[in-house]
Amino acid sequence: MSATHAPARIGSLWQQRIKTMREYEVVRDGNVFGAGFSNNVVFSSDYEQAHHQLDMLMEKHQDVPFHAIFSGTEVFNECGVCFSLKSRQSLKIPSLDPDRFRSEIMEDLTLVHGIGPRTQTRLRSKGFRTLSDLMQHPKFREYAHDVLTCLFGGDSAEIMDLIGWRHAKSHPSVLGTAGLHEPEDYVFLDIETLGLFSRPVVLFGIGTIENSNLEVHQYLLRDIDEEQAALMATLGHLSGDRPALVTFNGKSFDIPYVSDRLAYYGMGSLARIPHFDVLHFSRRRWKNQLPSLRLAALETDILGIRREDDIPGQMVPEFYEAYLRTGNCGPLIPVVEHNKQDVVSLALLFFYLLGETCGRL
Amino acid sequence: MAVSDVIRLLGVNPVYRNRVVHIEISEPELPRFGTLEVPPGDTLASYLTQHRIHLYSHQCDAINRVRSGKNVIITTPTASGKTLAFNLPVFEGLERDREARALYLYPTKALSNDQLATLEQMAQFTGISARPAIYDGDTPQSKRAAIRDNSRVIISNPHEIHQVLSWHAKWRLFFSNLKFIVVDEAHRYRGVFGSHIALLLRRLMRVCHFYGSSPQFILSTATLANPLEFAGKLTGLPFDLVAGDGSPHGRKHFVLFNPFYDGIGERSTYQETKDLLVSCVKDNLQTLCFTSSRKMAELVTLWARDDARRSSARLAESISAYRAGYLPEERRIIERQLKDGRLKGVVSTNALELGIDVGSLDAVIIAGYPGTMMSTRQQAGRAGRKGDDSLAIFVAFANPLDQYFMNHPHHFFSRSHEHAIIDTGNPYIVSGHLLCAAAELPLCEDQDRQFFGEYFYELLSELASSDLIRKTSRGWVYSGRGRAADAVRLDGIPGSTFRILCHGRLLETMDRAQAYREAHKGAIMLHQGETYVVNEMDLETHTVRVTETDVDYYTQPLKEVDLSVIEILETRTIHGARCAFGDVEVTEQYTSYKIKRKDTIIGLEPLDLPPITFRTKAFWVIPAPDTEQRVKHANLDLAGGLHGAEHAIIALMPLHVMCDRWDIGGLSSPAFGENCEPTVFVYDGYEGGIGLAEKAYEILPDMFSSAHELVRDCRCDEGCPSCIYSPKCGNDNQPLDKEAAVLILRDLCTVTEKNECTGLSAESGQAFQQSGYFL
Repeated sequence: MSATHAPARIGSLWQQRIKTMREYEVVRDGNVFGAGFSNNVVFSSDYEQAHHQLDMLMEKHQDVPFHAIFSGTEVFNECGVCFSLKSRQSLKIPSLDPDRFRSEIMEDLTLVHGIGPRTQTRLRSKGFRTLSDLMQHPKFREYAHDVLTCLFGGDSAEIMDLIGWRHAKSHPSVLGTAGLHEPEDYVFLDIETLGLFSRPVVLFGIGTIENSNLEVHQYLLRDIDEEQAALMATLGHLSGDRPALVTFNGKSFDIPYVSDRLAYYGMGSLARIPHFDVLHFSRRRWKNQLPSLRLAALETDILGIRREDDIPGQMVPEFYEAYLRTGNCGPLIPVVEHNKQDVVSLALLFFYLLGETCGRL
Repeated sequence: MAVSDVIRLLGVNPVYRNRVVHIEISEPELPRFGTLEVPPGDTLASYLTQHRIHLYSHQCDAINRVRSGKNVIITTPTASGKTLAFNLPVFEGLERDREARALYLYPTKALSNDQLATLEQMAQFTGISARPAIYDGDTPQSKRAAIRDNSRVIISNPHEIHQVLSWHAKWRLFFSNLKFIVVDEAHRYRGVFGSHIALLLRRLMRVCHFYGSSPQFILSTATLANPLEFAGKLTGLPFDLVAGDGSPHGRKHFVLFNPFYDGIGERSTYQETKDLLVSCVKDNLQTLCFTSSRKMAELVTLWARDDARRSSARLAESISAYRAGYLPEERRIIERQLKDGRLKGVVSTNALELGIDVGSLDAVIIAGYPGTMMSTRQQAGRAGRKGDDSLAIFVAFANPLDQYFMNHPHHFFSRSHEHAIIDTGNPYIVSGHLLCAAAELPLCEDQDRQFFGEYFYELLSELASSDLIRKTSRGWVYSGRGRAADAVRLDGIPGSTFRILCHGRLLETMDRAQAYREAHKGAIMLHQGETYVVNEMDLETHTVRVTETDVDYYTQPLKEVDLSVIEILETRTIHGARCAFGDVEVTEQYTSYKIKRKDTIIGLEPLDLPPITFRTKAFWVIPAPDTEQRVKHANLDLAGGLHGAEHAIIALMPLHVMCDRWDIGGLSSPAFGENCEPTVFVYDGYEGGIGLAEKAYEILPDMFSSAHELVRDCRCDEGCPSCIYSPKCGNDNQPLDKEAAVLILRDLCTVTEKNECTGLSAESGQAFQQSGYFL
């Protein structure tokens, strides 16, 4: 093969081909019907505005160095170095009533294998009101014992599994098990990536509760080389005493994605910890009441938050890629902002739902 | 069983008698049995006994070699029991090692289904917990995890593996225990497609190495001229060859049947094929008929049913079409009915050519030369299982290639096998797979060079400078925005699928080119022998709406092919001929369609369809003006000469640039462009180009001289399949002029007296367009 010039054409050939690949669809404004079917649509006005914003940012931040825009610290770990941004947000954490959850759950006889709603009604009329009462029942005694052992001896993940198995995974009682945790256990996670799977995660956003404040830690890749260290730093947040992960759509996206990247680098796998996916609980709570259940829509409709200069999450890859290609840090600004707001809204929404489920009455 | 009756009929019936130009009979052969170096374990031994299987010599040979850890390629003919030759040692492996896994790769879904049934039956009988399952695009999401974790034999296809590799973490258990990779029908992986598969297999091996396994390969192919070289290129590993067929055969009758024996041909190949099919089916021969197009498959079925209905409705019901585009359930039903004997005649495109085990078939009808001897022999091999007499009939088209075979039967029967060519060094292909590999696991410069060949470093730095991969402490990481596996298409076909709906129900799907050809507005569409008319074709939503209709005509579109030069990248002059390399745009447009009743044209309607264009790379040659003069003075046909020269050059492309003939397109014209110059174009059949014309351009003088020798030294009079006839000519090999072709090619390799050295700068950057003879 004519090695003289063929490879020279090849790089640009692939660049051209890959540039045209987009993992979302741009739809006409107000085409709620089109938007309803897929998560991967961007309204045309948002699309154009974002592109305009990208151009402006590029122009404004030409030759502005990274550290002049982002003031953070370097984090060193066994996988290398990465860049960390920290911010704090005050937050009202609802006061929870673990006893409310426990008493509600104790009255849920359907947690026992073989008991459906009809049997439950029948049992109640015979005086079996709680799971403990069932210990006197000749037939259900054995199963009730298993349930009680789990409820009193198991960790929140096992209790979640039990409830999720007997009810739906999005059942309020499943969320209720979060009330068994201390606020400091929660780890809110949201990642930004170069696309839908098998590409680097470029920004990890983690929220933790410290002194009743929400601390947002963001690990932003200055180059792809920092992904391993950022993964490592993120894992660090999940290695607490009894961490409980909170995400929005993380069961389908963030967690499989992170697992995939860990496997990619041969860094092992994620430990199994309780995971509350707020999307599932939101769906159950607001289905048919709100037109959209995307995080950005819920934060407006439920939390009353309006974002300024936000970019559609689907367009993050384009912004990051512009940075990667040119070294211009401007495009990273809205990406970091977007991610931070996602973490904050996630935490707010979680506490909102948790308050409804097991707040003090 | 009445093969002899049909043979007698062919000799007695006056219509048939004239058309039968040759019957080649091969005598029956007795089985040759073999012995295994070590007898199989109890379970497998009783499997063989219960099924009354005595292993043939080639099966034993294969099993002995696989057991000793060798990679094996088996090239015995269709129906010789290849499947057992690899299933047996694989099951032994699964029995010995409770964790062992095996991956079976099939090129089509139909074949996957068939293999699944065989494996399930074997697993059930032997009690070896293989838990075989298919994992492909049709596998529901809900079943995937369980298959990955529990199945010890997974059947899939290359396209699925291409997608799956980046999810290797989910496949950890499978990949870390992978002991066997079985690649059946491996001869399909040749040319550019084969080169893609070769790189895909390297990616697969790389992931296996990562998980600590290094599986053994078993390949099964049609008979090839270069099996060991092919296997080595496809996998990068050394192989043992298992060739000598030990299975028995009944007497085989291979009939050459020429509807155009009188030079006129009162009835078309379709009609004649239909008659033969009905004759076979009436005589109770289970018959498989192969046609060159989907439409032909449907028409032959429709007409054969009409004819058969005159005898009995049941006979008519026993004939069915089978082709790609049918929904999976439909195909399953046909396959099942063929096996249980309810179907007597099945008319297929080459989807069935591959060894799907449909039980015993008595006769095969091949309507039109399928393009390679490999396919011809595969198709004919479908007749005559179980050692009974069998019949194969090759029905010719009017085109020169088919007619040549009719007039030279001995040439036909002694034709050698094709070479299956693979190029693992094509930088266009390698670079795409490097991107995919970098998205699967970081690419390490030391360890991964073994998989990606001599341009590894060069391509890495090229991809890095285009920001598609980034260097990290663990190696090169893919950092492109799109998904790498989606950017690389193994078959090079850009995907836009049209859905054919009848009253809102999905009838079938087809790609754009086919939809334009067969589902344009007004087209009569055939599906399962039912007739539909196309009411609407929506180009935006890719939807075609049809309704049932009852007409006795069908439609046939007319295509125009144009080529325009977009940009000249390089030029050179070779012996007075101006040669160039650059970007071209090939345009195919359907402009009108014919309405036909049987073989009569009853109308012509205009069509309003946008052209289908694709940009690719081409080289082209403008012979010196002297040459043109010489051809004219000698009273030869310039157009036929150029067309012949084009075919000869393309015929040799596989030899020079490592591809398959089907990877390349060509076009020639006696008066191309605004200067009306005689021109021959040869281009890559892939969007964007795939480096074939580019490589050929570098070695044009060699190409010219070998093409010249090929045509000059061919002993035919007016051209033949060995020199200037092309099996894939869009103009039915017309016009062709062998003498003119020799003259043109001779001038291209000889220094002429007036050696003009004008470049092509005059046309540079200027697009010109002209129709011509399309390959």
